[in-house]
Amino acid sequence: MSEALLLQSLADSAFFWAALAFLVACTVAGLGSIRLALKGEAVTSLMGVSSFTTVAGVGLYLVSLPELFNVGFARDTAIALLVLGAAGTIIFARMFRTEE
Amino acid sequence: MLEELFVAIYGVIVMAYVALNIRKGGFIFDPSKLIPMLAFVFLMVFAALALLGFEPMITLVSLMKIGAAGILFAGVIPMVAAAIGMFRFNEEFGPSIFYARNHIAGVIDTVASLIMIFVGILILRLDLVAVGFFFFLLIPFAGNALANAYYYSYHRGLEK
Repeated sequence: MSEALLLQSLADSAFFWAALAFLVACTVAGLGSIRLALKGEAVTSLMGVSSFTTVAGVGLYLVSLPELFNVGFARDTAIALLVLGAAGTIIFARMFRTEE
Repeated sequence: MLEELFVAIYGVIVMAYVALNIRKGGFIFDPSKLIPMLAFVFLMVFAALALLGFEPMITLVSLMKIGAAGILFAGVIPMVAAAIGMFRFNEEFGPSIFYARNHIAGVIDTVASLIMIFVGILILRLDLVAVGFFFFLLIPFAGNALANAYYYSYHRGLEK
């Protein structure tokens, strides 16, 4: 039984640190996205915001997992960001296109 | 101490493998061979541990969670590479650099959605899989809409 517990703690530890490393990578990608969103013309900004919503959504979803930090309300925010972010990007891109 | 050592070695191996794949510009092992190989290793380890007297359900869930950790480690390198690309590709490359940035944004989106799908499968969270899959379906449309908007509202005017 103690070996099984050791394996379980190994798995928990591996998942926790891997998710933490991925969250840090998401943060770095989020910084790049913000930089993109704050420069260039409107479509480039839209692309940066779209990337940022993706990164923020995945990060929040990971944070909401019970295996990690178990922040329950982050899950709804993450779903809204991921779905509405992608849909909003498509809609606004269509609007920018028909503008000219 | 043992756990941290395991995590460090596992993470370094997975990230080094992904980095080598990116550096090579292709797969070192083709996915059609790599995935069955990993599944075989998983089954062998599970069988060995079950024969050694480990509780099967705990072993199965733990091994799947270690696999999910590997997928998360594998997502670190493309995310950081995409971030470096976003910082490096500036306006001095000309107006067509938008398409390179669009590709980089696509990499971020794809990595994020694939990680959500496969991690969700391995930690048995179907809501994560569903959201990841829905997002995975929306990515190409978003990228295409952005490139279209850029071309018709800005780039075509420059070409004329």
